[in-house]
Amino acid sequence: MIDFELPTELALLRDTARAFAEGRLRPRERVSEAERGVGDELLRLHREIGLAGVGWPEALGGAGLGALAQALVREELAAADAGAALALDPLGAALDALRIFGGDEALERFAAPIVERRGARALLVYDAAPHVETHSGLARGTIAWVPADRLDLVVVLERERAYLVADALRFEARRGAGLRAAGASTLHIDGAPIVAEWVSTPGARAALAAARLEVAALLVGVARRAAEFSRAYALERVAFGRPIAHHQALAFQIADMAGAVEAARHLVIDAAWRIDSGLAADEACATAFVECVEASMFVAPRALQILGGHGFMQDHPVEKYLRDARALGLLAGGVDLSREDASRAIVASRGAIALAADDPLEGIEA
Amino acid sequence: MDLSLDDRLRQRLLRVRELGRSEMRPLGLEADRLGRPLPADHPFFERLVALGLGRTRWSGEGEAGGAGGGGTRAVVQLAEEMAYWDRGVAVAFPGPGLGEAPLLALGSEEQRERFLGPFRSPDRPHWGALAMTEPGAGSDVAAIRSRARRVDGGFVLDGEKSFAANASRADWIVVFATVDPALGREGHRAFVVERGSPGLGNFHVEHKMGLKAYESTSFTLRDCFVPDSNLLAGNDPSARRSGFSGALRSFNSTRPAIAAMAVGMGRAVLDESVAFARAHGLLRSIRVQDRLERMRRKLRASRWLCLRAAWLADLRRENQLEASMAKAIAPAAALDAAVAGMEILGEVAGRGDTLVEKLFRDVKAMDIVEGTGEIQRIVMARRLVGLPRDTG
Ligand SMILES: Cc1cc2nc3c(=O)[nH]c(=O)nc-3n(C[C@H](O)[C@H](O)[C@H](O)COP(=O)(O)OP(=O)(O)OC[C@H]3O[C@@H](n4cnc5c(N)ncnc54)[C@H](O)[C@@H]3O)c2cc1C
Repeated sequence: MIDFELPTELALLRDTARAFAEGRLRPRERVSEAERGVGDELLRLHREIGLAGVGWPEALGGAGLGALAQALVREELAAADAGAALALDPLGAALDALRIFGGDEALERFAAPIVERRGARALLVYDAAPHVETHSGLARGTIAWVPADRLDLVVVLERERAYLVADALRFEARRGAGLRAAGASTLHIDGAPIVAEWVSTPGARAALAAARLEVAALLVGVARRAAEFSRAYALERVAFGRPIAHHQALAFQIADMAGAVEAARHLVIDAAWRIDSGLAADEACATAFVECVEASMFVAPRALQILGGHGFMQDHPVEKYLRDARALGLLAGGVDLSREDASRAIVASRGAIALAADDPLEGIEA
Repeated sequence: MDLSLDDRLRQRLLRVRELGRSEMRPLGLEADRLGRPLPADHPFFERLVALGLGRTRWSGEGEAGGAGGGGTRAVVQLAEEMAYWDRGVAVAFPGPGLGEAPLLALGSEEQRERFLGPFRSPDRPHWGALAMTEPGAGSDVAAIRSRARRVDGGFVLDGEKSFAANASRADWIVVFATVDPALGREGHRAFVVERGSPGLGNFHVEHKMGLKAYESTSFTLRDCFVPDSNLLAGNDPSARRSGFSGALRSFNSTRPAIAAMAVGMGRAVLDESVAFARAHGLLRSIRVQDRLERMRRKLRASRWLCLRAAWLADLRRENQLEASMAKAIAPAAALDAAVAGMEILGEVAGRGDTLVEKLFRDVKAMDIVEGTGEIQRIVMARRLVGLPRDTG
């Protein structure tokens, strides 16, 4: 029976994340952006209140919660500062990739050292092209942009395999279009020894799905915040004798923005629920990613527009939300590849397309 | 958190699918081809009644029952499935129709018994109807001009009503009229006007762009006498005051279901388009894939919005924002799907004889009935930014 109620545990977790995000991240969103980091104090606190380890297995000192829990936390953190959300998460989707490809052993070997050292960070990079070549156990190539100033481990994910590099990484600092709190650089991999490698197409798909879901959840947060900020502003700002929110043209936009955020969030919840229920979820994650990119590019520019000229100025955060959202959508291989993967299920299906995993019409010829 | 179907609902959906495939879809296509509604004496309606369909959800013991269990969520999912096969035929189904909600919200026990009782286990098809819209008042329901003048023992109604579903075949029509236009909404009353009432007539079945399987009927009331006993909430001033908002509330509770019907119609477009693309070797085209992907994504998101609004309704939580959100978004997603579906079929769609083309004509109505997309945005904006009434 359809039931959207969060279990108490998850509702509490979401509230904790929200309080941390609003109380700690939001007040310093411009500081984190300028300093390209969140600082030790926040890293410690984030870890201490249990937000860092939501998805880590208990062996790593985490809570061992599932995709939905992680999506909820990511949305909340990104609703304050998406760059900070990335900076605070030492593993991100690298955790999923390690678990999917290498199981407990890989987590023990590669994730545990990252988790044990505060400030250490691993990142999953999806390299579809590929831009990095491997030869005789060494990796060489350049990733034009990673949202980081330094990394201790890089999981390079391709269509059919994943491999790890940790040394001989060179970070060329960049300004970054957005997400600067996480850092921004061009990653040069200069003959880095491949520490581990796994080949598995289903594994690669699942790891990519997890990476997409991570970004999608962050996008929901940014879009929600942009919509919320501009809604509040529209109630304060007066033009032509009334709050601008009470001009129907803007009122309708505000309604549509709220709808776009909600629709996108439901696709994230849908995908996360499928993962947690052990159902096929690759297509759902790809679909959620596409929708979240679209929704964020619908909402964030309108949010800025609602502030008019003030929105363009950096005194207000909406221009940052727009840049952060745009930058996020370029991660995990970007929207075109995601759309391609989402349509694969359609091409492969025999008859009718089920909308939900347990749709009664699944596989029925219309 | 649970996003799965329970088995009971799955069984009900499978039964709808059987009926949909074997009867609803072919009948809908036939009505569309002939350009006229299924006649009231169509044997299909007899069969539905024999199957136990066409009944009221009123249990006869006080409150309304849960529509056969499962609450609004089940209603929404069943509505989607019915509309997948044919939304026009689904509206033509016998039953109290849109008139049921005001009877449940405003009717006395005696009135429910009298008007909904015959729908409890009918031996032949019966219909009810609701007539709110007038030539001069649709979205702006407060502007209705049909007059109700008090006379000995009741009221005399005068006015014109538009587009009421199943009105000419209905046993009764819940008609909204005003006792004094100067009173605005305070003056609104709901009357049950029975078939054959003198002065009720001029039934005109409209010619529609789509959804041809059911009748959308305009009619007039001329010195039409309605006894006091047919005035809903007649003896209860506070309930009477709420007559107007009661009518609106009844729309509120149905918005997620209307939105879900749009999802069902969009899904039918998607399936037809996929089948066509496969049969014609178009599935490898990236452009076609993109269109199909977008259709499915928007429809899936819409479905969740409908279910969320329904879930809130089942918990008796505030759901106005969510219900209007679903109703604002799903019909647009379904129309988008139909537009893209027509593109995939190309000139074949241009022939005017395919299901996708029919769905394209059918689905536009979903953004109009039970509150246009604009009206939904007004409702949402009231919730979100307190949009004052003079702008809405
Ligand atoms: C297939 C079908 C079946 C129907 N069945 C029934 C039925 O069974 N019973 C019944 O009573 N009615 C029925 N209707 C009528 C339906 O409810 C009305 O058509 C609908 O409410 C819109 O009213 P209208 O047609 O008068 O348009 P109008 O109210 O004249 O609206 C015209 C346009 O103006 C927009 N608009 C209006 N006010 C505003 C505003 N404040 N701000 C911005 N935009 C605005 C509308 O959104 C619309 O785009 C049916 C209609 C159709 C198409």
